[in-house]
Amino acid sequence: MAGDNEVNLNESKRVVPLNTWVLISNFKLAYNLLRRPDGSFNRDLAEFLDRKLPANTNPVDGVFSFDHLDRSTGLLNRVYRPESQLGPPTAPIDLENPLSTTAVVPVIVFFHGGSFTHSSAGSAIYDTFCRRLVPLCGGAVVVSVNYRRSPENRYPCAYDDGWAALKWVKSRPWLRSGKDRNSSDVHVYLAGDSSGGNIAHHVAVKAAEAGISILGNILLHPMFGGEARTESEKRLDGKYFVTVQDRDWYWRAFLPEGESRDHPACNVFGPRSKNLEGMKLPKSLVVVAGLDLIQDWQLAYVEGMERTGNQVKLIFLQDATIGFYFLPNNQHFHCLMEEIKNFVSAA
Amino acid sequence: MDELLAVLGYKVRSSDMADVAQKLEQLEMAMGTAQDDGISHLACDTIHYNPSDLSGWVDSMLSEFTNPPDDSEYDLRAIPGVAAYPQADESDKDSSPAAVSSPSSSSSPPPPIAAAAAPSSALIAEPTRPVVLIDSQEAGVRLVHTLLACAEAVQQDNVKLADALVKHTGLLAASQTGAMRKVATYFAEALARRIYKIYPQDCLDPSYSDTLEMHFYETCPYLKFAHFTANQAILEAFATANRVHVIDFGLKQGMQWPALMQALALRPGGPPAFRLTGIGPPQPNNTDNLQQVGWKLAHLAETIGVEFEFRGFVANSLADLEPEMLDLRPADVEAVAVNSVFELHRLLGRSAGMDKVLSTIKAMKPKIVTVVEQEANHNGPVFVDRFTEALHYYSSLFDSLEGSTASQDLVMSELYLGRQICNVVACEGGDRVERHETLTQWRARMESAGFDPVHLGSNAYKQASMLLALFAGGDGYRVEENNGALMLGWHTRPLIATSAWQLAR
Repeated sequence: MAGDNEVNLNESKRVVPLNTWVLISNFKLAYNLLRRPDGSFNRDLAEFLDRKLPANTNPVDGVFSFDHLDRSTGLLNRVYRPESQLGPPTAPIDLENPLSTTAVVPVIVFFHGGSFTHSSAGSAIYDTFCRRLVPLCGGAVVVSVNYRRSPENRYPCAYDDGWAALKWVKSRPWLRSGKDRNSSDVHVYLAGDSSGGNIAHHVAVKAAEAGISILGNILLHPMFGGEARTESEKRLDGKYFVTVQDRDWYWRAFLPEGESRDHPACNVFGPRSKNLEGMKLPKSLVVVAGLDLIQDWQLAYVEGMERTGNQVKLIFLQDATIGFYFLPNNQHFHCLMEEIKNFVSAA
Repeated sequence: MDELLAVLGYKVRSSDMADVAQKLEQLEMAMGTAQDDGISHLACDTIHYNPSDLSGWVDSMLSEFTNPPDDSEYDLRAIPGVAAYPQADESDKDSSPAAVSSPSSSSSPPPPIAAAAAPSSALIAEPTRPVVLIDSQEAGVRLVHTLLACAEAVQQDNVKLADALVKHTGLLAASQTGAMRKVATYFAEALARRIYKIYPQDCLDPSYSDTLEMHFYETCPYLKFAHFTANQAILEAFATANRVHVIDFGLKQGMQWPALMQALALRPGGPPAFRLTGIGPPQPNNTDNLQQVGWKLAHLAETIGVEFEFRGFVANSLADLEPEMLDLRPADVEAVAVNSVFELHRLLGRSAGMDKVLSTIKAMKPKIVTVVEQEANHNGPVFVDRFTEALHYYSSLFDSLEGSTASQDLVMSELYLGRQICNVVACEGGDRVERHETLTQWRARMESAGFDPVHLGSNAYKQASMLLALFAGGDGYRVEENNGALMLGWHTRPLIATSAWQLAR
């Protein structure tokens, strides 16, 4: 009802800076236009509206990037690297030498958010975020995966692409590093926000099963859910940019047709999910926004990880809304950056 | 300008932020109270413009609710034709529209064009160099290094080293395959010409270069996109005119115009009278290429019922053009469109050439000026930078051609591009005509010359995307919206940009 809306709008406006409110509200309204009631998606208009940034081999603030395309799969990854201290700015992209032969240089494989449907590695919000991670983590390399999106490409496409990207990263000689030539390896962290966090989890599980080493997982308000309606979903429905209805739409668009939200892709510790006990998953950093309506599912995830003997650290940001990390204008952003930095640098 | 939002691609003045926020709230209310499918028309029928101008976008969305779309306005859709001259069988004409036009939707009038805001300091570009590496290029990395080292040696006048490197490049190129090999070969040849000062003959028979261009037109969608998007802007500008005049700065084989004429012919209420002035270079054998093209178009006009007039102008350079030569008629009688597809950059080698042409354009009092240019800076002062830019640009371009199957067309297209490479790398001064610059650079130039942007909207975007799906050989092509202009690229690398302009008020 109109009255309810007014209250809701005022609430969200109170908890975020005005320009953040404008940014996220704009996304919200635009996304409302793009989702059709029949489950289809206006991809053309979505691409038209999405603000993108190109890769740039000229360093900006000490970071340069380039895109890599795997011709056979069509999978594109954007690679961010710190500016070389050695060569001149016009030095070509080094695809021959390892990152370092004297130190470990983390490679963060990043899966952007967008509820499996929106955005891309080239979206300005994500290009900007990935660039921040490079100097934050002491000159880490970031690889942002342009995974296939729903509803055109449903489960398990995003996971398959995540897995392919991980294998690609692990097999690049120029992403290796180590304290000496004998301990040279590609040192990978997986990271993602929203649906990207969900993808990071599932790729980490597959990696653990395959014996591929991942140093850590960073899940930034990861997208999980289930058939049940949790207390946080009921309490926060429509109040801070997100509605239960739109969450339902995105799950319907991603999961196989006719599937329920208790599908193991969505409900990771639910009745149909794999038992993660003894799996030796990488340590996880899970960041939950206190005003995110799916926080109960995220908290259940953390609890589930602990219960199954997996190492997990929870960062609960009380008054944070979704998307708080798009702009560096709030304390939650800075807190997050500090936590990520510590997480990646810890041995 | 709010700097934080600017980085994310949104231009909002800090002083406007509260106002924009309020409008977003209003919009949400309006969307909330509309029926479920009441808002889907906002996505389908509404034409969106320049999403970077957030305030403008929200305004136009709000006006959709206060002013319901006017059904009486016709909606011109350019038909994505092949370079169709009337064939013996009429079936060609039927095949294209069904794929493109959507039923009965009408367009709202374009919102008032926001004055171009000065770019904030966060946006004033350090040059951007977008690179897309194809997996095969990882193997060719040494080849790229060698080419760049050679360019460096050339710049330093180290002829001996350059000579050694260019020969080594030849060896490395031989062990590559596909696009990498071809690109490297063209660049190596161009470097060799520069080193040994064997400059390419520039004044090749224009009909030969036209032939190459036609093969390029067939092989890949770049020219089709250029014509299509320019035509879309022209059609919108001509919407209410009864007499229209298009001045084409590079007529060549006139491939752009049949589709425009067909779209004009389909206009509800009947087509306007259509006058075309085609400009072209002198021909060697005194053959009048322009007139021949004019005759063909006249024949087409007759079959589709469009009143048509044609005039050809031979000019060595666009800078030789004077408005008096063009028999311009008053603006309230005849609407003028000036169209330049890959022509303007050629003027940058002559001092004052560009200024002259821009004032001539203004004197034509055009309703719209359409500009299509290569999206790259191949005109920088430093040779190595130019070389590096061009290497990445043409690598992407050649990669995109690899998907196409017609091998004859492919070879010709590669030759067409190869000549550009040669010009960028081996030539200097007045001979170097392929002086491509980026959209950002063209924008600055047009704006300071007294033009305002005319934004291309989501309808043009959508149809360009459909065009690509129909004609493109590979599926890596992407249309991208950039502050009211449209770009066509290969994956994430933009390669050509279409922008439209009007006289500043």
